[in-house]
Amino acid sequence: MKATILYEDGDHRWIMFGRDPGTSDTIVDTNQYLIQSGDEAILLDPGGTELFAPMLSAVLKYVPAEQLTRLFASHQDPDIISSLGLWDQALDHATLYAPDIWEGFIRHFGMTRTRYHAIPDEGMSLTLGRITLQFVPAHYLHSPGNFHVWDAKAGILMSGNVGGTMEGKGAPIWVDDLDRHLPKMARFHQRWMPSEPAKQDWIRRVSGLGIKIMAPQHGSLLKGAQVDGFLRWFEQLKIGSAVGSSLR
Amino acid sequence: MSAPVFVTAAGISAELHQAMMEARGLALTAKNARALAVRAGSRTVGFRAITDFIEELASNIISQSRTINNHAEALSNTAVNAWRTEQAYRRLAAICASDANHKASVEPQAQRCGQQLDELQTELQQGLRYLLDQLEESRKHMRTANLIATSSNVEAATAGDFREQLQVIADNIRATADRIGGHLNQASRLLNRNHRERQSA
Repeated sequence: MKATILYEDGDHRWIMFGRDPGTSDTIVDTNQYLIQSGDEAILLDPGGTELFAPMLSAVLKYVPAEQLTRLFASHQDPDIISSLGLWDQALDHATLYAPDIWEGFIRHFGMTRTRYHAIPDEGMSLTLGRITLQFVPAHYLHSPGNFHVWDAKAGILMSGNVGGTMEGKGAPIWVDDLDRHLPKMARFHQRWMPSEPAKQDWIRRVSGLGIKIMAPQHGSLLKGAQVDGFLRWFEQLKIGSAVGSSLR
Repeated sequence: MSAPVFVTAAGISAELHQAMMEARGLALTAKNARALAVRAGSRTVGFRAITDFIEELASNIISQSRTINNHAEALSNTAVNAWRTEQAYRRLAAICASDANHKASVEPQAQRCGQQLDELQTELQQGLRYLLDQLEESRKHMRTANLIATSSNVEAATAGDFREQLQVIADNIRATADRIGGHLNQASRLLNRNHRERQSA
């Protein structure tokens, strides 16, 4: 499992995990993120069951299990949180922060020791060590109950599926050339994202945040001016492409 | 509750990763020591000879830590598979023991699952034993490191004008060796604790 430090300021760190060489090519490649501040840490979108063992090994290189007391699931998909039953065994006193509407569904992945903290539709803030994180609503992008994570101090937005691509394990960590990268993003956003009003609402809300790094759950990360470039492109992109594709 | 084997193995892997990073620092210290010894000339012939041993030691520790690290990661994966298989087996076995009308239709699967569980547990036991042996083996490196640190102190004491700088390097070697030893000890503690808990379970 490859680990990349995205941000470091004293004991405040963002680490991205992904591009695991041991994972089968038949499952979708994912990015996982660990945020540390002081003695506390949260793992964002911990990943699927197949990824659990390499993820646990990689995470413990940076933080002892007793400090990892928080998990976050942006939504309910298996590539996001199907490993929950295993994290449930590995971590004592852990709390999972996940969308309110998915609680009864996510519990199907198995959680007997972990506490479920339902994030209300309007979002919430969370204090982690010396920093405050915001769980930003991103409903219908793509899941009906969906949140992103904003760290104002680091200037990083963990943007779930938004800004992602399905490039597989060969994808570079950072987008090199946005103009060449945007076409690779098109189908993923058009097919997976269903709601134009939700998209416009999300763009309006995140545009003023001052994002330095946009960190999606699939594919390469965007930074600096690429973020604004992406937002302008996304604003124009027609989504919900499967509507009307029924048999005639 | 005792930590599952997959957590222990991942913890050991993390400790060995740290030991490997420290050993890389030791290799760098050896290079600095060599450069300084060359500059210092004939008064530090003894120290220069020691730098070869330090480099060799660092290389051995890196290599062995990498081996143990890889093995621990693979073992963690096996432990996860064993845990998942056990969960499935328990459920299938419960159905086979019930009065379900068509329970016979899952008996072959339950049998296969049980067999797979046996194989994975055997693999796990062998893997844990191998890990224990490898960690024991790595203790030899620690003894060598302590000898080198002591010799470095002795040689530094006779290095005239370079005494202070070589003393810093000698202290650095001892401190790094101590930190590596700490990680190896912690890895052994994790493994022994898991072993004890598995025996008493």
